[in-house]
Amino acid sequence: MINPLIFIHAICAELGLFAFLWVLVEILNPTDRRIARAQAAALFGLAFLFFAWLVGGFYYVEVYGLHIKPIIKASDASWVHSIVMEVKEHVFLFLPILAALVTALLYKHEEELNTNRDARLSIVLLSGLIFLLGFAIAGMGALVSSGYRFALLAGMA
Amino acid sequence: MNSKALIRAAAVTIALIAVATIGSELSSGFRQLLSTIGGHHWIGKSVLSVVFFALLYLSFSKLSDDRFAFRDTGLLIATVIISGLAILGFYVMHA
Repeated sequence: MINPLIFIHAICAELGLFAFLWVLVEILNPTDRRIARAQAAALFGLAFLFFAWLVGGFYYVEVYGLHIKPIIKASDASWVHSIVMEVKEHVFLFLPILAALVTALLYKHEEELNTNRDARLSIVLLSGLIFLLGFAIAGMGALVSSGYRFALLAGMA
Repeated sequence: MNSKALIRAAAVTIALIAVATIGSELSSGFRQLLSTIGGHHWIGKSVLSVVFFALLYLSFSKLSDDRFAFRDTGLLIATVIISGLAILGFYVMHA
């Protein structure tokens, strides 16, 4: 059975990532109402990414490290942990920092986003970076799950 | 709030995460030190990333924030890409 913590971690992270895609779309052509919606989306996204961090961290330390990692590392797919999981768990740490930054910039520059091209472009690019980086990490998570299934099947053969 | 300080603090923190990640693989002493923070080296890096972001923001907050410069954002994006590739490259070479 799939551990429910993985489901909660993945859903929260994806909601957080889509919130920053929402920010990107709102700020492409900002009005006062779009900026207000972008601020709400960024707060929502930041909260979900922090929650995904806590839940994923608890799962990684208490479940993955003790029960999943040894099975993957003992299989022919040990690279799934040695490369994919190692990169995933560390690059993930970039996301809450970037999300907090974008949220802060949206509040700091709310009055001037219509006229300040540099601030607007920064928020758009950083939101896009959060979305792309986050979904690359989600893809790595899918690879880790596949590696675990492969290791289990190989162990039964 | 100082935008320039926030962006620079984020860039330096992300670079430090990459350095700590690679450093903890190369030095068992450093890995052990990180583990003492929260019982696991990953928790240690997580806690340190938040602490360093806050401390770096405070230290950069004396910088002038008169005009928002896209150049700082460009440097941050470059730092994210280089740090991510450094972590990926390290684990690919050491797998």
